[in-house]
Amino acid sequence: MSTSVDAERAWQDLQRIRVPQERVYDEVERSASGEPGATYATAASMWIFLAGLGLEPPTWGVWVAVVVYAVLLVGLVAFLNRGNRVRLHHSRYDWRTSVTFLGGMVVTGGTVLLSGRLAESLTGEPMAVGLIQATVTSGVFVLCVGPANRWAVGSLRAGR
Amino acid sequence: MSTPAGFDELIHPATRLSVVALLATTEWAEFAFIRDSLSLSDSALSKQLHTLEEAGYLEIRKEGGGRKRRTTVRLTDRGRTAFDGHVAALRAIVEGAAAGHGRRQQAEAAR
Repeated sequence: MSTSVDAERAWQDLQRIRVPQERVYDEVERSASGEPGATYATAASMWIFLAGLGLEPPTWGVWVAVVVYAVLLVGLVAFLNRGNRVRLHHSRYDWRTSVTFLGGMVVTGGTVLLSGRLAESLTGEPMAVGLIQATVTSGVFVLCVGPANRWAVGSLRAGR
Repeated sequence: MSTPAGFDELIHPATRLSVVALLATTEWAEFAFIRDSLSLSDSALSKQLHTLEEAGYLEIRKEGGGRKRRTTVRLTDRGRTAFDGHVAALRAIVEGAAAGHGRRQQAEAAR
């Protein structure tokens, strides 16, 4: 059986499609602006990792710290994904997502280097340098991650 | 009036169109999220999902157990292609009608 559809019904259907899609974007924006627990958990992992490196461990110790840190982050991401009700299709992401990801790496890496140099000029104590690096970097992460996430998802709805 | 190529009879009903439109925006969505977003009952949504699943338009996965059990729904490539084709057909109908309306106005102005 073939259905005959007039232009008015087709127009209504095209409008109807938008409503559930708006609900998806609402949910994605809600997820990006919330979850302070995830931010603090990630910052805490970063602090422990950087403070640990400040103790100047041997090479094998550095690798152990890197592996533990990576496992912690992957576990955190998996745990957070379990709480999500929806995941946006990959085709709906735009350039802001990549810029936010790369920018996050640059800002974090830059903060580690700059705070390390600054701390070394203030105190020569490796442990103190590590603590300052860890605290400054984690602090910058906590301050930046919320606005960066909101900026990244802010244009998704308009960019469909 | 004939329907353009790509028009999908299975997606055409309003509730199924809304379900597929929501899933087309996602990699996957939880059953409860779809139900709440579309204000449907569990049974109404289940019925629509199984119809679409039988046609190979989506996959239903059940994860976990007990109180943590959750059901996720994912549009298949076939379902995504069908939805894109259906939307293109709807647009063609609207644009065809707009073009016809424009031609009629030009003809009336020429008279």
